[in-house]
Amino acid sequence: MKTFRAIAALVLVGVLIWLASPVGAVPIFARKYGFNCSMCHSNYPRLNDFGQRYRQNGYQLPGREGDEKTVLESPPPIAARTSLGFNVQQAAGKEQDLNQFQLNGLDLLSAGLVYRNIGYMVVYLPPIPAFRGVTDQAGALEMASVVFSNVASPWLNVRVGRFEPALVAFSAKRQLTASPYEAYELAFPSGSPLSETQEGIEVTGHGGGFEFAFGWLNGSATNRVDDIPSDVYLRIAKVFGQGEGQTAGQRIGLFGHFGQARPDPTLSDKVRQPLFRGGLDASLNLGDFNLSLQFLLGQDDRDLWGSRDNILSYGGFAELSFLPATDWVVLARYDGLKLPGELDVGSINRMTAAVRYYIWDNLALHLEYSYRHQNSDLPIDQEALTYHFATVRLDAAF
Amino acid sequence: MQRIPLFGLGIATVMVLSLEPVVLAEGQFLTNGLLPSVPVPVDNPQTDAKIRLGKQLYFDTRLSADNTISCATCHIPKTGWANNSPTDTGIKGQVGGRNSGSIINSAYMRVQFWDGRAASLEEQALGPIHNPIEMGETLENVISKLNAIPGYLEQFRTVFGTDVTTEGIGKAIASFERTIIAGPSPYDLYLQGQKDALSPAALRGLRIFNGKGHCSPCHSGPSFSDQSYHNLGVGMDKANPDLGREAVSKDPKDRGRFKTPTLRNTAQTPPYLHDGSEASLRDVVELYNRGGVPNPSLDALVFPLHLTESEKADLVVFMEALTGPVPEVAVPDLPKNAGENGGGQ
Repeated sequence: MKTFRAIAALVLVGVLIWLASPVGAVPIFARKYGFNCSMCHSNYPRLNDFGQRYRQNGYQLPGREGDEKTVLESPPPIAARTSLGFNVQQAAGKEQDLNQFQLNGLDLLSAGLVYRNIGYMVVYLPPIPAFRGVTDQAGALEMASVVFSNVASPWLNVRVGRFEPALVAFSAKRQLTASPYEAYELAFPSGSPLSETQEGIEVTGHGGGFEFAFGWLNGSATNRVDDIPSDVYLRIAKVFGQGEGQTAGQRIGLFGHFGQARPDPTLSDKVRQPLFRGGLDASLNLGDFNLSLQFLLGQDDRDLWGSRDNILSYGGFAELSFLPATDWVVLARYDGLKLPGELDVGSINRMTAAVRYYIWDNLALHLEYSYRHQNSDLPIDQEALTYHFATVRLDAAF
Repeated sequence: MQRIPLFGLGIATVMVLSLEPVVLAEGQFLTNGLLPSVPVPVDNPQTDAKIRLGKQLYFDTRLSADNTISCATCHIPKTGWANNSPTDTGIKGQVGGRNSGSIINSAYMRVQFWDGRAASLEEQALGPIHNPIEMGETLENVISKLNAIPGYLEQFRTVFGTDVTTEGIGKAIASFERTIIAGPSPYDLYLQGQKDALSPAALRGLRIFNGKGHCSPCHSGPSFSDQSYHNLGVGMDKANPDLGREAVSKDPKDRGRFKTPTLRNTAQTPPYLHDGSEASLRDVVELYNRGGVPNPSLDALVFPLHLTESEKADLVVFMEALTGPVPEVAVPDLPKNAGENGGGQ
């Protein structure tokens, strides 16, 4: 049996490597232009400055609007992303609760340009039941947005649909670690964290080192279908020097998000209650090093948490990346989050270290270790709140 | 509990099968393919007689005001049909402000000159003749001088059915220039299936060219030029910078923008950039790696690249592999002036 498992794992790894071969298919945009992934990604999936500007310009090369091929003139705009490998998660003082070879999700993507300055992005997560060696995945349309770029100038771009709001300074969808940004995961019970995509309208603009994003969102998942969208946010940022702050230039930004949410959509007598998120962020580049800083402040109405008082929270992360070449990256991150002790969330401290070696632009060997410690004043199993997580996996886009 | 990834294996297999139709063939790159046949304008078809006439005119210094400068003075066959000097010296020792572009493969460019002010090779061919710091002659004088040379008059009548005309001069020189085409480079041979045509370093350079180096968005297409204009900031820190395309279009957005030059045979044509300010391809790579020269109009595609030393070296090796053989052209015998010996170089 062990031999069979080993062979099956090797075959799967081999298939993935072959699938992601550099002379084979490459993801949508790269395939369209004949580019390598490193055109837009400093280290896939993190965008470099070129990729950031390409995204800001509605999936068009800056300055080439009108000369671009549409999806009808390009190779099929379909791509996929998945990762597979060995995961270990062990609660402190407990038996191992995870120790297995896994396929970690599957994203199907379609994106492209419909017409000059009109682009779209769709990310679909097909439903996958938990099965032998496969992590279950709930089917979802994670993103489905249309972006109208350069409506009057680069200062007016409109994105409509379901998308990752630009208030998130460091994309949770394109982060390099399997461990999440804890601050972006903050949400009241049943609420929607910042890391989730949202439905709404977003207006963005950029130029001269400045950028802004203003959004009107449907808000929390606990809101009902007939609730009028009430969440608004504004983010402004400034880049000093050349670039977009991804690997060149120094970027600082701040945002504020004002929303309303229901504690529980099933309770018809409950009205929506206010919540707030605000933050400061910086992306600092020095040579081959990048330091990403995020500070987050939150205040939620007490009804959302079922608490006596309004809930004030704060936290953030500091991530130091060393990106000496496109074929490898090393990073370390500290995540911290502080909530009132009477909540079962309590405070969270997390330390993560990861190395990614890129066999090819679109195939990374990913090693990661993360230690997560959680404190709560409640009489719950404290040991279960602390765990070690490690993974060795292949992360591929094709 | 340990589990076998059978379902994952099934998904991966399905992906392989479903994605097969969009897999690119090895060596097939969408942006920088093989050169097509040379584009020839309908109103100026190539003929041997016209090319022969154009070749004579190209080498003839009598097209300049003081009979010292010909096209070949700056676009020298032995130096890649360009000039090794940063900028060129015209009549009376006057020094120009821009580097001479190579004639090689210029037939593939939709517009000519660094600022694109000439819409065709025919128009370009006439430009230097009446440029006061290049050949410094009036077109009227050139026509009169050439009409007085029996050998030219006879050829113009044969080729165009007229005496010497401005239009005929432009067409003849352009026809000759359309024969200066580089043959297959190692890169072309690689695209055609000769796997060993590119060295490992050149192959690495190709990947950087299409990736981290961010070269191919502008150096795109078979000519490795998007035939558009970009601001790298070169010279923009001077007191009176060369405005480039803006001087032609009068559009402030074009400030400091210059046409993307072809990279084919570029290894033969140092120095580089519109002002010849970079002595080698390596120097050009260094400029891009620094993110150009900051200025308010800097192109959105230019920013620091963080290339390693080996990546820079590989990129240069790749660009050198874009060099193909160029036709050997000997200086022709030029028609003699009436009653005296001809004046060519």
